[in-house]
Amino acid sequence: MSSFLRTPLAIALLATLLTGALPGEAAAQAGTRIKYALGDVISIDELPLLVAVARSKQRGVEVEVTAFKSEEVATQAVINGQADIGQGTPYAAVQKVNVPVRFFYQMSALQFFPIVNAEFYKTWKDLDGQEIAVHTRGSGTEAIMRLMAKEHKITYKNVSFVPGSNVRALGLLKGTIKASILDASNKNYVMKEAPGKFVILPLGQVKASDEALFATQAFLDKNQAAVAIFVEELIKVNREINKDPKSILEERRKLGLLKDLPAKLEAEILPYFEEAAKGGIFPNDGGGENAAKNDLEFFQLAGALKGENLKAADFWNFAPLKAALAKVR
Amino acid sequence: MIASHAVWQLVSFAFFFGAWEIAGRWPVSAAFPPFSQTLLALLAMIADGSLAKAYVSTLQPLLIGIAICGIAGVGFGVGMGLSRTVEWLTLPVFIILQAAPMAAMIPLITYLYGIGLASKVLAVVFLAAPVIVMNSYKGIRNTNPSLVQMCRAFLGSRRQEVVKIVLPYAAALIFAGLRLGLAMGFIGVVIAELLITPTGIGDLITYHSSVAEYPRMFAAIASIIAVAALTLYGLERLERALFPPEIRGS
Repeated sequence: MSSFLRTPLAIALLATLLTGALPGEAAAQAGTRIKYALGDVISIDELPLLVAVARSKQRGVEVEVTAFKSEEVATQAVINGQADIGQGTPYAAVQKVNVPVRFFYQMSALQFFPIVNAEFYKTWKDLDGQEIAVHTRGSGTEAIMRLMAKEHKITYKNVSFVPGSNVRALGLLKGTIKASILDASNKNYVMKEAPGKFVILPLGQVKASDEALFATQAFLDKNQAAVAIFVEELIKVNREINKDPKSILEERRKLGLLKDLPAKLEAEILPYFEEAAKGGIFPNDGGGENAAKNDLEFFQLAGALKGENLKAADFWNFAPLKAALAKVR
Repeated sequence: MIASHAVWQLVSFAFFFGAWEIAGRWPVSAAFPPFSQTLLALLAMIADGSLAKAYVSTLQPLLIGIAICGIAGVGFGVGMGLSRTVEWLTLPVFIILQAAPMAAMIPLITYLYGIGLASKVLAVVFLAAPVIVMNSYKGIRNTNPSLVQMCRAFLGSRRQEVVKIVLPYAAALIFAGLRLGLAMGFIGVVIAELLITPTGIGDLITYHSSVAEYPRMFAAIASIIAVAALTLYGLERLERALFPPEIRGS
């Protein structure tokens, strides 16, 4: 009888001690489990997320990351309630689906590099009447290339769709693609594999989200404290990287993240984050209203968003970000 | 009798589309459109020409692939049926191909053949060839032995045996193989268009999914199912008209 009494008592005591050790708002939602849908394979660019996930866990908010085949699948998982938070920029779905879904945090801004085979082209003007390859129809990469065509008053002969920066990188190296647009890590890969063979074309300031977080309005309302903790951790990681890109290496080692990364990719971590920090890819303030404004403009131009006078409030919920920013100064 | 059959068919369609409409309006998912919206989207895509354009590009690898299988596949099948050496050399390849999960082989194909038309044709061939080859092979092997013996009894040469007895007898199974190969080819071409590069119907599905135009996405999916089903149904009717039941193997 006495041992029966002692066990629950000990558990209760331990629980009080544990939750007592956590900050107040975390205690309120300690043990919250957030199902996170990622529409991509987990690689080095996901390191800030993984660090924030590990740190949130220490504060009692467990974020369970699942990698899906594509952003569309991740979006569907959120819309249908199988996941709580999604990563990506499904502005079209948010506009059209009748379940209120809102963005609440900008993880990173778009960073793409228009790249051409130097043997054939040197400048934007050379691409007039030529064929280019972008990710998919209606994607950010297509929007950037069309935007630049407009800016430089040129027209492409044909825009072909080759999903995956890594696939286009291979195409460029093999010579089957002569002009395309790549993400940072694949641009670095191509430039390293074939030095001098490619030229990167200058890009004006394109400000839009590459990755943002979204969830249903209902989820955000119900889990304010837990979401604020997670967002807080995401902001902190970004600020650390922007201050010192090397910090991510240390965090990776300390938390034991992406342990089985091949040595070749391991060497790419620091250049990737140094370049991102220099390019201002990771916002210090989670994007917020500025990101919302830029995204609405960009995705309208990309053809993903329809209609005039789009309101940020119909796409974004700024409350979790404000709550988190109040905590991290 | 025929009239009542048609009525039942209509009832079945009405039931199916009715259930779809209810499921879309309920809704089972925020992204699942009712039948009426999907039909309107389909009509809009027919009217603006995007569906026709998509089919021109989807049918290209399909037809090239089926033509290759029709010539080479039937050739291999007949060769395997007639010669033990050819059988010994090639049968394992087609048995392995038949068992190989196609979607898992797509990355291999793209590494070897890139992302163009060749890869898509190959995806069609990989899926369609085994069934075409195996059917031709079995058609030849299953020739009624009494007919072959009759040919020999009349002192028919090997050539006459093949041309006048074996091939006509196997024709029905070879044709059935081509029909089933086309069915697999439809699967292959859509997998290729979804997994290699989005063109044709694959492009309509991925693009409309990415911009959340779900009625259009479902219309594209429904249209390829309908085209495949109607084509195969037509070929089956043709098969019944061309070959008598005793050699159809059913």
